[in-house]
Amino acid sequence: MKKARKGEIRTITGNAAAAYGAILCQPDVVALYPITPQSEVIEKLAGFHSDGLLDAEMVEVEGENSAINVVTAASMAGARVFTATSSWGLAFMYDGMLQASGFRAPVVMVNVNREMPGILAVSSGQQDMTATRDSGWIQVIAEDCQEILDLVIMAFRLAEDFHVQLPVMVNYDGFYLSYLAEGVHLPERQEVSAFLAPLKKQPERPVLVPGGPLGCGTHGILEGFAELRFKHSAAMERAKKIFDDIDALYGPAFGRSYGGQIEEYRVSDAEIVLVASGSAAGTVKAVIDARRKNGEKVGLVKLRMFRPFPRERLTRALQGKKAVGVIDRSVCFGWDCGPVFMELSAIASGIGAPPLMNFIDGLANLDITACHVEMMIERVQSAAKGGTFRKVSWIPLED
Amino acid sequence: MAEVKIHQEHEGGWSDARKPLLCLNTGSWRTQRPVADSAKCSFCGLCALYCPTGCMRDKGNHFQPDLEYCKGCGICAVECPRKAVVMISEVEFQDEKSA
Amino acid sequence: MSERNNAAAEEKSKAKKKRLPRVFDYFRDEDPFAGGITLCPGCPLELLLRFTAKVLGKEIVFVGTPSCSATVLYGQNTRSWHKLAYYSCLITGVASSAAGISRYYRRLAKDATVVAFTGDGCAADIGFQALSGAAERNENFIYIVYDNEGYMNTGIQKSGTTPFGARTSTTPVGETGRGNPNPGKNLPFLMAMHKVPYAATATLSHLEDLAKKLVKAKEKKNEGLAFIYVFSPCPTGWGFESDKAISLCRTAVRTNYFPLWEAERGRFRFTRKAGSPKPLEDFLGMIRKFAHLSRKEIGVLKKEVEERYSLIEGMTRRWPLE
Repeated sequence: MKKARKGEIRTITGNAAAAYGAILCQPDVVALYPITPQSEVIEKLAGFHSDGLLDAEMVEVEGENSAINVVTAASMAGARVFTATSSWGLAFMYDGMLQASGFRAPVVMVNVNREMPGILAVSSGQQDMTATRDSGWIQVIAEDCQEILDLVIMAFRLAEDFHVQLPVMVNYDGFYLSYLAEGVHLPERQEVSAFLAPLKKQPERPVLVPGGPLGCGTHGILEGFAELRFKHSAAMERAKKIFDDIDALYGPAFGRSYGGQIEEYRVSDAEIVLVASGSAAGTVKAVIDARRKNGEKVGLVKLRMFRPFPRERLTRALQGKKAVGVIDRSVCFGWDCGPVFMELSAIASGIGAPPLMNFIDGLANLDITACHVEMMIERVQSAAKGGTFRKVSWIPLED
Repeated sequence: MAEVKIHQEHEGGWSDARKPLLCLNTGSWRTQRPVADSAKCSFCGLCALYCPTGCMRDKGNHFQPDLEYCKGCGICAVECPRKAVVMISEVEFQDEKSA
Repeated sequence: MSERNNAAAEEKSKAKKKRLPRVFDYFRDEDPFAGGITLCPGCPLELLLRFTAKVLGKEIVFVGTPSCSATVLYGQNTRSWHKLAYYSCLITGVASSAAGISRYYRRLAKDATVVAFTGDGCAADIGFQALSGAAERNENFIYIVYDNEGYMNTGIQKSGTTPFGARTSTTPVGETGRGNPNPGKNLPFLMAMHKVPYAATATLSHLEDLAKKLVKAKEKKNEGLAFIYVFSPCPTGWGFESDKAISLCRTAVRTNYFPLWEAERGRFRFTRKAGSPKPLEDFLGMIRKFAHLSRKEIGVLKKEVEERYSLIEGMTRRWPLE
């Protein structure tokens, strides 16, 4: 249960929660460029700055490509940085994003999930996150407005950790969470500073100093390149446990813990499990609670970290389950399924090779309703009993 | 993760100017070299100023190219107001610098 | 007798005093670059890099882009070609990265000079959006462009500043090709029209002029973007003998192909006024990339050159910089 601690509770939108999370961490340089459904984030940040609540260099850039470059460069000079974007803006940032992760810049960025690529859509979907999963960034996902704020704070703690030094993308569903107002507990600034203070005790990462001998961004030649690539991969691997540790520390500090890389909701004794992420997880939890009252042993694994992929935690959680249904809010082009399903398939033998089913749903603001979830649970239960099942279902296109 | 050999100090790609600088023996590119006539030279310094490689060394009463780096571009000969510098083909010289 | 003459000659030469031009006084620090670096013989860019570093001093931070300059500015693995701090960018992100760094240094009250250093391809084409945005926002750094009128490092392709008629690998001369069909952007004027605190043109034949402009840029960057546009011909790409590089710059100025001016917040002044300009053919005749031009085509190019010159001249009259 989420316990309220000292500090306010305000009814604020997901976008505002992201902005509050950022200002509580006191970034030095913030880049601002609007895109639906994120624009409120930067408007809030600009408003805080103008009211004296955010002491930072505010750079109202002329495009997202500049936004990512401004914050990455400032980060390599030693700054704490923040920016926000969505779908097409994320795409326009792509070259700079590769630079950020390659340089090991601890950039924190909020990405408000919106459909991309191809078909122009101003609606929710996780395709933007999926399309950038190979950018070398850490990607985490929030379920509700409170978790957005909490994840932004955790993101700074994770990105700037000396043993990580990687940019972190905090994702949340556009429209469903960006514009939804919920009661959100706002920690006090000192509490957040105390939570981030351990970073100061760690070794210092190298930064760009005028007149100094270090130059940032060399050509990687042969083994030199391979070594940096290896270090990047190794840091991603380390980030998983460090994220779990940060989440575990968050509980005593702020009264809320989420389980780290994944949240296991009524999973331990579940016979069948659904895997979902983002706001849809809330709907799934509600349906599961109803089914549990019927005595059905259903559980939810909520995916909070997408990159790096939590294969160890997922293997332990799904071990021995009779069937698993994966809800994907995006598509894995080139395969016949969604990305989480495709990646989960890689650990299928490790969990006993149960029937794995994929439900592609929630594209372009099509709701993942309780009815849909009921239907998914029934299909997974039928598969668990040995019935034939369709591997991939496109829920919105079924009659 | 795999066992690997690590050589670089930092996580990211940083170069360190405290290490010896990368440097090429660009003198080996030359097909001609400047020869300065100290009698004609008025010590005006224009050859040193315009030399792109900055290899003109002050010899007290004239400037002379550092043959380790002189690429033989010929700018010094063209810019010299006294025509004190002439470009001579490398085949005329037999020293280790023209190897 | 010849021995006596030789001795006398030697005495005379020992007595010679070094009379270096005034521009030597502008050098604040030693050349921080290695003796042998990977630029073509006679490359004006090499002269510009070493000169800029000596004039601006060792506290600068270079911000570069993939280009001819990157082969020198960027290190390889952990080694570097020079002693200065630098930040390597993608070609899209130079002005924005320079902005991010200079903003943070400003926040720390660090007295540092961030110098974005790119070719014309980055500044006029793929990096123009970021440059224009940074100029509009009054970001505090120096942006130096070396204009070799094309993408040279990748093989002499046409860029946004390639002049009319120029032969490049993407505007070749052949059965129907006549070189570049377009006149190219007047980038320094475009930047001056952003009303930046300082925008200037310079080249490598007039080094005292360049030195003064670099020093002024260092001061003016405290008010906003200081932009210097340097005419830097490419022997390899344009087709001229490497020993002519500096005299080509001089001819460009004397024919009004590349006038030397500076502008502060949209007010203009010539820093060298050509009395009566030399004929443009003097310039074109030195360069093989123009060798195929017909009389009519030369006429088109001449008109463009005259119009650009009179544009600046008009600005110096209507919006003079005192």
